Amino acid sequence: MALLELRNLSKSFGGLQVLEDLSLQVEEGEILGLIGPNGAGKTTVLNVISGIYKPDGGEILMDGSPIAGLAPHQVTARGIARTFQTLRLFINMSVIDNVVSAGYGQMRSNLAQIIFRTPAFRREEAEMRARAEDLLGFFGERITGYRLDQPAYSLSYANRRRLEIARALMTSPRLLLLDEPAAGMNPAETQEVTQLIGRLREEGGYTILFIEHDMGVVADISDRVMALDHGRVISEGHYDDVVADPAVIEAYLGTGGVARK
Amino acid sequence: MTDRDQPPTTKPELLGRDEWVSEHDQRVRRDTWTAIGAAIERVPFVLRLAIIAAAALAFPIFTDNNYVLRIVGTVALFASLAMGLNLVAGFAGLLDLGYVAFYGIGGYAYAYFSSDFLGIHLPTWVTLLIVVALGALFGWLLGLPSMRLTGDYLAIATLGFLLVFIQLATSLTRVSLPWTDGPVDLTGGPNGIVNLDDFSLFGFTASTVEHYLVILVGLLLVVMTVAHNLDRSRVGRGWRALRENELAANVMGMPTKRLKLLAFVFGSAIAGMSGMTFAAWQGAVFPNNFAVPLLITMYSIIVLGGLGSIPGVLVGSFILVVVPELLRDVGLASTLFYGAVILTLFVAIKPRWQAAAVVAGTALVGIAARLFLPGEPPGVGEGLGALVGQILVVPGNDPQLVGNIAFMAVLGLLFLSVYLPTRTLKLVALVPLLWLLALAWNTRLSQDPSVTRLLLIGLTLVALMNFRPAGLFGRTRVEVM
Repeated sequence: MALLELRNLSKSFGGLQVLEDLSLQVEEGEILGLIGPNGAGKTTVLNVISGIYKPDGGEILMDGSPIAGLAPHQVTARGIARTFQTLRLFINMSVIDNVVSAGYGQMRSNLAQIIFRTPAFRREEAEMRARAEDLLGFFGERITGYRLDQPAYSLSYANRRRLEIARALMTSPRLLLLDEPAAGMNPAETQEVTQLIGRLREEGGYTILFIEHDMGVVADISDRVMALDHGRVISEGHYDDVVADPAVIEAYLGTGGVARK
Repeated sequence: MTDRDQPPTTKPELLGRDEWVSEHDQRVRRDTWTAIGAAIERVPFVLRLAIIAAAALAFPIFTDNNYVLRIVGTVALFASLAMGLNLVAGFAGLLDLGYVAFYGIGGYAYAYFSSDFLGIHLPTWVTLLIVVALGALFGWLLGLPSMRLTGDYLAIATLGFLLVFIQLATSLTRVSLPWTDGPVDLTGGPNGIVNLDDFSLFGFTASTVEHYLVILVGLLLVVMTVAHNLDRSRVGRGWRALRENELAANVMGMPTKRLKLLAFVFGSAIAGMSGMTFAAWQGAVFPNNFAVPLLITMYSIIVLGGLGSIPGVLVGSFILVVVPELLRDVGLASTLFYGAVILTLFVAIKPRWQAAAVVAGTALVGIAARLFLPGEPPGVGEGLGALVGQILVVPGNDPQLVGNIAFMAVLGLLFLSVYLPTRTLKLVALVPLLWLLALAWNTRLSQDPSVTRLLLIGLTLVALMNFRPAGLFGRTRVEVM
């Protein structure tokens, strides 16, 4: 059984059909790349999965149970975490608080325990902080040490992207949705992102669905690629096959790009 | 700019920071108030509470002046009330303009259960539980429709709630209920409900200002502890996260609607407890105790102290309660006024000798006026005001009229001086401006303390917020990504 399955999903904004009868499956342990020209509906797919938009029709099954229509935090509780294309960090909070805050759903202390700072509450806080530091350590020394207590806005762009991934991991997801993880990165950093996605699967055991415009990243790391255009899947399969698909070339370059029919 | 782009010789703490961030941090670090805030942070919280308690409770030991004790009690009361607002507006970033209605609900609830108005006299601790529950319930009810509203819309919806509350409290005096003959008075109207019982806890009845001071300080310590502990929990982090980016907070697993409701509930419960204590202390409740001016004071306190800062609330309450009291005295008010004017001149005009020249020029103009203009120096003035009075002349025998004219002239000159082409001319124009301002103050403004007080507090707030928009202990917030 697939870890995540979208069945005949549709979504429109006013008269604009953004997703049309879209179906896809993400297998456990897989790295699936989602590509497509601007406006193809890639980010909408992620927004629908993570509960930001409610689909007009169709089903979303996470590990076999339906999650369509759940609020974002409930979706997160089912084991789906994401990052954003345009970063959405809590920029005035410290680096460590950014990550620890995402542990909300896993903390069990109630209000009485919080107000009286019971030993159980303190233990939980300490555990969460330790886990957050651990996750930040995943990125080497860049966002650890003295940086933990600095506000997130003092980080460089690449480090902000790393922080956002660490924050998503703090929710203990099984499935990680990455929206253009390499956007705005230089070639060296892009290379690093590629390795990072691989490491997330190898060391963390996460299943990954990612959107990316950098075809180098997509080619290097995806097990499978899915191309979207006008809210529909136009091609699916191995990277080499998908990018050679006339439908994909047409979507990117227009009908002049290839003689069709 | 990223880590990799930096040459290896760069200091590690400078890696990955851009110019703007470095410049900003430098600005923050140099700041005195930030340094004080950081120093306070290093003091253990329990010790901070002990210091506050000791400082407040030292007053009854050293003075039996009820006026002074009442001011200290008011500082504690306002700090408790503002602390609740700080949870809602500071931590969670919800612009709740209906906040003081909950203070009123607490006050009226106490009045209902502890007076002859309904003939009910419940033990204080029972009323306390009821008030906390009622506050929380109403906070929840107001929070419910507000869940879909943010920013300005939330502000207007909650302000409506406050206005309805004040209106009901004022006008529900002749209500026909199905089970009574004739109309019933539900709120006492503008005359309020009077002769409330004193607090009675553990067989001890509070009757003096000292007793209430102890109770108010106790309330403040409880409220501070709750706020402090919430702040350092998943709830506090959730509030700050949703203030920063509500969507991201929700996607990262935080139930944002529940967190907002929780902020309302906590804020309202704290406001209810404060209102109840206030009602018992005053011995009566009136609708205008819970009106918009108090709301403005509360927001002034938390904005002045720095949104989301707990020490800031204390300092803000202290300033906004104590300064108006100091200004009641004409001499002190004059000294503060002239002190503030001279300080502003020396802060705003650089190099300093130019500020000194302006002050000296004003003095010379004043001496010349005394020598050559007909009229007498104004007969009033204490403190610095008496000294400044020596260089003023009042033509004719109607100082009030002279003061009014001088004040209008000040405004006119101020307006015109904006259009002066060069800085030198502006500095020169300051000389007659200051002289006229002094004339207006000594003859008119200082004689009308109730108005002048508010004017001065307003000006002080404007000036403070200009120099320090984040508030005294607030951290400068960044809105860019």
